[in-house]
Amino acid sequence: MDFTTLIAQFISGLSVAMLIFLVASGLTLIFGVVNVFNFAHGSFYLLGSYFAYQAMGMFHNFWIGMAAGVIGAGIVGMLMEFFFLRRIYGRTEEGPFQILMTYSFILILDDAVKYIWGSEYKTIPKPDALMGSFSLGSVMVPSYNVFIIIVGLAIVLFAWYFLTKTDTGKKVRASSLDREMLGLLGTNVPVIMTVVFGVATAMGGLAGAMAAPLRTVTPGAGVEVIIDSLIVVVIGGFGNFWGALLGALIIGQVLSFGILWWAELATVASFVVMIIVLIVKPQGLLSKRGVGR
Amino acid sequence: MKMRFVSILVIVALLMPVGMAFSAETIKIGALYTMTGRGGQYGKDSEVAIKIALDEVNAKGLPGGKKLECIITDDKNPQYAVSVAKRYITEDKAKFLFGIISSAIGLAVTEVSKEYKVIFVGSDHAATDLTANKFQKYYFRSSNNTFQSMMAGAYYLAEMKGWKKIAYIGPDYAYGRDQWMEVKWGLDKLGIKYEVVGEYWPKLYEPDYTSYITAIMKQAPDVLIVGFWGGDTVSFIKQAKPYGLFQKMKYFHPDAGGNYEAMASLVDDMPEGLILSARHHLNWPDTAANKTYIQKFYKAAGRYPSYAAEGAYVGIHMIAEAIRKVGNADDTEALVKAMEGMKIQCPEDPAGFTSWIDPATHQIVQVQAIGTTVKNSQFPPAKYMLGNWKVYPADKLWPNMEYVEYLKKVKK
Repeated sequence: MDFTTLIAQFISGLSVAMLIFLVASGLTLIFGVVNVFNFAHGSFYLLGSYFAYQAMGMFHNFWIGMAAGVIGAGIVGMLMEFFFLRRIYGRTEEGPFQILMTYSFILILDDAVKYIWGSEYKTIPKPDALMGSFSLGSVMVPSYNVFIIIVGLAIVLFAWYFLTKTDTGKKVRASSLDREMLGLLGTNVPVIMTVVFGVATAMGGLAGAMAAPLRTVTPGAGVEVIIDSLIVVVIGGFGNFWGALLGALIIGQVLSFGILWWAELATVASFVVMIIVLIVKPQGLLSKRGVGR
Repeated sequence: MKMRFVSILVIVALLMPVGMAFSAETIKIGALYTMTGRGGQYGKDSEVAIKIALDEVNAKGLPGGKKLECIITDDKNPQYAVSVAKRYITEDKAKFLFGIISSAIGLAVTEVSKEYKVIFVGSDHAATDLTANKFQKYYFRSSNNTFQSMMAGAYYLAEMKGWKKIAYIGPDYAYGRDQWMEVKWGLDKLGIKYEVVGEYWPKLYEPDYTSYITAIMKQAPDVLIVGFWGGDTVSFIKQAKPYGLFQKMKYFHPDAGGNYEAMASLVDDMPEGLILSARHHLNWPDTAANKTYIQKFYKAAGRYPSYAAEGAYVGIHMIAEAIRKVGNADDTEALVKAMEGMKIQCPEDPAGFTSWIDPATHQIVQVQAIGTTVKNSQFPPAKYMLGNWKVYPADKLWPNMEYVEYLKKVKK
């Protein structure tokens, strides 16, 4: 096996990992801070891609489309938290209600998308600046995939800075550890929860908007991405932001090299990794719940 | 006496509308289509084509002045489709079952057709099994099966020079697996020597093919045979293009790669020179019948039809023709006989050829045309259409009883 093949496959795996990470990190952030298992998180990936499609159709500018995907998904996420999820916090039936409510949002948002934009798939062109490829030795690397990797890494760096170096970030981490105590110390916890929900769903929207030029914009896309994200979150540890990053990097490379060496069974490889982690360390690779720990 | 005569006249006059209503009674067709989600466009296009065909059939007239009527329900999944098919037969008194996009649902509904002895005309789902190893006498198909596409593909490859190594990528379920089996069987039968350097099985609706693309490029096949459909084709082409995959190998996708909606979605992103086909083409054959059909569809829907619409259009005409031959829609056994061997002129028939129903398998027998992508803005928003056609005669593709026997053995 030549070195360039390994590099090409590694870069492919990294680009896959970054898109999964953007969805999974939002999922795990919501679980860690808001204590909600948001089944509908993939729907924000879906909304991000459709908002981007709509904005691009109106303004013919990819960057405006991407901004619309991020902001639109974030706003819908905050509305969902503020008007619906907030009503079930702290109830004895909160667990089952969370599942029912977030699952119902998958159906509602998917049908809303079909109602507004139709059931046929759509496509978005890549921006001109990111159309081409460059060669790394004998390997071609598409500029757009490098863009995805850079954006993913930028989000990681930003999240690290925000969660560890800023007061608000420390409050977010604290709310994942002891929400009541944080409230007693004078922090407006409900606002933190709404904002975190909005940021997390905006990250899902960012993934959807960035993936749209590579994939198709189509109803049902959210359900497809949520499965990989769930695997990543289980591997990394529920509620652990860095766990989502580690899980995504592992799954991206397992998928990528699995396809190269074990093509027939590559699609089950990520499930095998998840099962091994569940047996060896059921709480996930990066310890217990806790955002940014 | 006079009074009695008047009374009889009054009674006759009162009964007349009932009699007329009876003679104008409709014959119901119970159709199932995927109307939402990934295959929803195919269902919607089929619905438009059914309406056009019904208008034509009813305008021409059926025996006894009866009218054809079609009820359409979203098929959702095999279990649900089976329950709707049973309801169509028992409650709606439908004389025919019709349609279906997904082969999995088609395979489930053919069992209902068999059990209730009701004719089922499959208009889209392409699993060869239904007209081969899973054949039952009440099932007919009005569009080609995957074997016909892949056998035409094997002939195309046999004529193509300068290749030896092939790889395959297709969705990991029956539709993808069957196409690979069929093209290899065809190549073997034609005595073509080839080397398989890779097989790749992403899940259906896989969003990211990046790692598959780099793995395929490492294997460097001369020809990449592809078995995707719908949005998966679009995603794969968009993702493979910046890697330069299409300059390194021939992209060969003979069953659904040439679907119009893929070209309309890719627009400028569609590379030139891909070898593709579909079950119906907007620009082949260049006949008045095809043009008229496409114009009627465009007028009714405001868009061009996807391939699925033609199978639905043809299927309705098949049913009408059988009723005309038999004289009624009640004698199912006679209708089956009428359909067997029936000649039916389809929009996709080239000049001098008429599609026909193979009596042994109930599969429509049709010519297949494979082309390469060339610049053509005749059907916007697509900017590429197929051209450089190579045409494969219907009788070279189906019936193929040797393959039917092979399927019976391998799919026991």
